[in-house]
Amino acid sequence: MINFHPQLAHLRAFAEGTCPTNLALMISAHVDMCPRCQALTTQAQEELSAEVFAAPVDSVVVEQDFKDMMLQITQTADFEPARVQPVSNLLELDGRHFALPRALARYTRKTGNWSRLVGKLWQAPVDLGQEGQANFIYMEKGGRVPEHTHKGTEFTLVIDGQFSDGLADYDCGDFTIMDGSNKHMPFSEADEGCLVFTMVDKPLHFTSGLARLLNPFSQLFFK
Amino acid sequence: MLVGIPLESKHSNAVVPKDCADEMSAYLALVGQARCKRSFAEVFNYFAPRLRSYALKQMGNEALAMELVQDTMSNVWQKSRLFNADKGAPSTWIFTIARNIRFDMLRKQRNRKEDICADDLWPILCEQTADVNEVALDDQVILQELGQLFDELPQKQRVVIEAIYIEGKSQQEVADQLSIPLGTVKSRTRLALQRLKEMLKDND
Ligand SMILES: [Zn+2]
Repeated sequence: MINFHPQLAHLRAFAEGTCPTNLALMISAHVDMCPRCQALTTQAQEELSAEVFAAPVDSVVVEQDFKDMMLQITQTADFEPARVQPVSNLLELDGRHFALPRALARYTRKTGNWSRLVGKLWQAPVDLGQEGQANFIYMEKGGRVPEHTHKGTEFTLVIDGQFSDGLADYDCGDFTIMDGSNKHMPFSEADEGCLVFTMVDKPLHFTSGLARLLNPFSQLFFK
Repeated sequence: MLVGIPLESKHSNAVVPKDCADEMSAYLALVGQARCKRSFAEVFNYFAPRLRSYALKQMGNEALAMELVQDTMSNVWQKSRLFNADKGAPSTWIFTIARNIRFDMLRKQRNRKEDICADDLWPILCEQTADVNEVALDDQVILQELGQLFDELPQKQRVVIEAIYIEGKSQQEVADQLSIPLGTVKSRTRLALQRLKEMLKDND
C-alpha cells in the first residue's frame, strides 16, 4: 500500500506545469501508480482551469487576428493519423522483467547496462537528457546501501518490491524526497528484492565506517 | 468557407466556464463527430480570448502568447474526438492542452538537450491509454473506410455530403452555395446516405 505521496504543493505545481522537469517526471510516474494522487491532480487541474478561464477577458484589439486564426485552424487537414506506438514497458535484469509505470516506459530503451555494485546492489543509469542523474537501483534480498546523507536532493520511487531505510518501510509506489537533513540506510529484506527509480542532483555522502571510503568515488555510482 | 459562422459569441465576458460546460461539451462532440465549424467557432470564441490572457501572463509577449493560443486551439480542432465529457469539463481539458503546449514551448526556448516532453508527463492527448486507444483505432478504420466509400459516390452527392457532414453546413447553406434548390440538396443527401448504407452492408 502506498503511504508516501508527493506534497500537495508539488502536486499542484505538477498540475500547473510549473514544477522542475525532474520532479515532474517522478510525480508523473507516481501518479501512474497512485489513484489518490491521480484524483488530486485531476482536482487541481479543475481548480486551475476555473481560475485561469474565469479571469476577465481583455476584448480589444485582436478580433481580426482571432478571425484569421480560426480560419487557419479550420482549414488544416483532418485528423492526424493516430500514431499508436506500443512501447514495451518491461525492464529486464538477469532474466527478471519489471513492468514500469507509463511515464518511465520509454526509458527501457535509454537505460544503460546493469552493473553490480557492493552489497547485493545493481545499478543501471538512465539518460534523461537532463542535468542530474537518474538510475534504476535494484536491491537483492539482503542488499543494502551504506548509511548516507545527501549533498543535494534525492528522489526515490519504488517500482517493485519493498525496502526499508531505518526511517520507514516503503512499498511499491511510495515516493520520497530526501536531502541533507535526512540520513538513511536503504535495505531490502523482501524475498523478491526491490527495484527503485532514483534521481540525485549531487552525489551521496556516506557517513558510517568503512563506507566513508566510498565518498571520493561516490560520483561514479549513486549519482 | 466560413460563411455564416458568427464571430461574436453570445458568451462574451461574463460567463464563467462551469456555467457553459454542458454547452461547450456538446459543441466539442459535434466538432469531433462532424468536423462542425460552427460548433468550433462557439468553442473558439469563448476560449481563445481567455487563453490569450493566460498565455500573456505565462509567455510575457504577444507573439508567443498568440502562438500558444493557436497551437492550443488547433489541438482542440484536430483532437476533439479525444475529449470525453465523462472525465471532466471542456475548460479543464483545454487548460491541460494549453499547459502542455506552454511546457514544450518553454522547453524549446531553453534549447537544452532536455527531451522530457509534455506528453510523457501528462498524457492527455496520447492515444496510448487502453480505452481511448481502442476507440481511436476503431474510428480511424471507420473513417478510412468511409473515405473510400465517399470516393465512390457520384460527384454531385459527394459535394453535398461533405458540405453537410464535414464542414457542418446546413442544407439551406449548401443550397445557396451551389445555387440549387433546397429540395435538390435534400434528395441528394437522402440518396447519398442510402447509397453509403448499402455500400457499408456490402462491405461486411
Ligand atoms: Zn500518491
